[in-house]
Amino acid sequence: MELNNSKIKIKSKNLNVYYGNKQALHNINLEINNKEVTALIGPSGCGKSTFIRCINRMNDTIDICKVDGSIEIDGKEVNDKNVDVVTLREKIGMVFQKPNPFPKSIYDNIAYGPTIHGIGEKKDEMDKIVETSLKKAALWDEVKDRLNEPGTGLSGGQQQRLCIARALSVNPEVILMDEPCSALDPIATAKIEELIDDLKKSYTIVIVTHSMAQAVRVSQKTGFFHLGKIIEVDTTEKIFKNPANKMTQDYITGRFG
Amino acid sequence: MSDTGHTVKSYAEEMQSLNDDLVKMGSLTESQLADAMEAVIKLDKESVDKIVKNDSKINALRSAIDNQITTVLVKRAPMAVDLRITISTMKISHDLERIGDLAKSVAKKVTPLPIDLPDELVNSLRRLGDLVQKQLKDVLDAYLNNSKEKAVEIWRKDEQVDDLTNLAMNEVANYLQKDKKNLEVATHLLFVTKNIERAGDHITNIAESLYYLIEGEYLEGARPKGKPLDS
Repeated sequence: MELNNSKIKIKSKNLNVYYGNKQALHNINLEINNKEVTALIGPSGCGKSTFIRCINRMNDTIDICKVDGSIEIDGKEVNDKNVDVVTLREKIGMVFQKPNPFPKSIYDNIAYGPTIHGIGEKKDEMDKIVETSLKKAALWDEVKDRLNEPGTGLSGGQQQRLCIARALSVNPEVILMDEPCSALDPIATAKIEELIDDLKKSYTIVIVTHSMAQAVRVSQKTGFFHLGKIIEVDTTEKIFKNPANKMTQDYITGRFG
Repeated sequence: MSDTGHTVKSYAEEMQSLNDDLVKMGSLTESQLADAMEAVIKLDKESVDKIVKNDSKINALRSAIDNQITTVLVKRAPMAVDLRITISTMKISHDLERIGDLAKSVAKKVTPLPIDLPDELVNSLRRLGDLVQKQLKDVLDAYLNNSKEKAVEIWRKDEQVDDLTNLAMNEVANYLQKDKKNLEVATHLLFVTKNIERAGDHITNIAESLYYLIEGEYLEGARPKGKPLDS
């Protein structure tokens, strides 16, 4: 057993995922540390997004998807029948490749989550949640005077931070990010990376990225996926300076295929 | 050294060119050191100018390598083994350039030396020079063969360089003791000895860089030291 069990927030054991007859993940054993950033890298279709979608059971929404094996958060099985998926997703926020604000005001984008979870029923309580969430996402100063304008009117980078603020509004413990910067320019990317640095003090973050440089900049631990298998997991420094596995080395140095 | 498996061909070519320039630089440095040692041993004053001039070729290659490395860093953001090749090539090229400088300094000292130096003195310099040249040849071969075992062996052998340096220094001290008028020549000889020894230190640096390139880890432990002068 692990000596510092309390450090581990998420743990997958022999996790297999199938889309119909096609197996997308093979026996994934991966530990994600608490209040750290874990980067998942690998070529397209290697299973990294499928893996993070197992953490908040997003794969439930796909009919032909079958998950077996175990994935635990704080030692509790996520796939257990008794787990309420809505509560689970309150605990695990998610941010996607393309910013996807609701076609509502900036304020309502943030208020939506707390409302459906029955938090912040009083106006001043909700105001506080909106302000705090936007501040945590480093967006408050840019939008505080136009909270009633549509979220879709913001720039791409601001929209992505709005989506992060929306995820933060329900006090999650884990934030999953699936290529959060791939649609953003370098300045907007830098702002998100700065935000990730700040957020990791309070949240456990798992980020899927195609940018090696980004993985090096933001993460402490990196996992390399290939053809649905996890090939190597180690400290980010080790992976990018001196990986143990040749396949990892070939991928990160651009020698693949 | 660098295999050419990159998906982007021009990246592979850039790494290959770095390797080629470093090999070229190594071989030039090797000849410079050999020429400088021969000039000292044979007290051949005629060859000094040529050796001094040739040093600029080594310097030019160092600058070319620096430039290429800056380009690779900015264009490719090299990772893992490519990162280690890039960093080590930069360090090795700087050490080679310093060895070139030291060879030049050794050669320049030949001009003021008398042609009738005692045999013991010349022999002690020859032994030291032979060993350092062997070390340089070995480290360049180790680089070409990607051999970390050789790198460690060369690194350890610096102890012998230190020992032979001490012996050569003792010979110079004896020479000075025989006649105080030998002071000026003895001073030049001390510089020559010290410069050869320092070339040896740069060779040890190269062995360390090579080990890091191959292993991704630093050679551990204190660098071997020879016996102190009066033991």
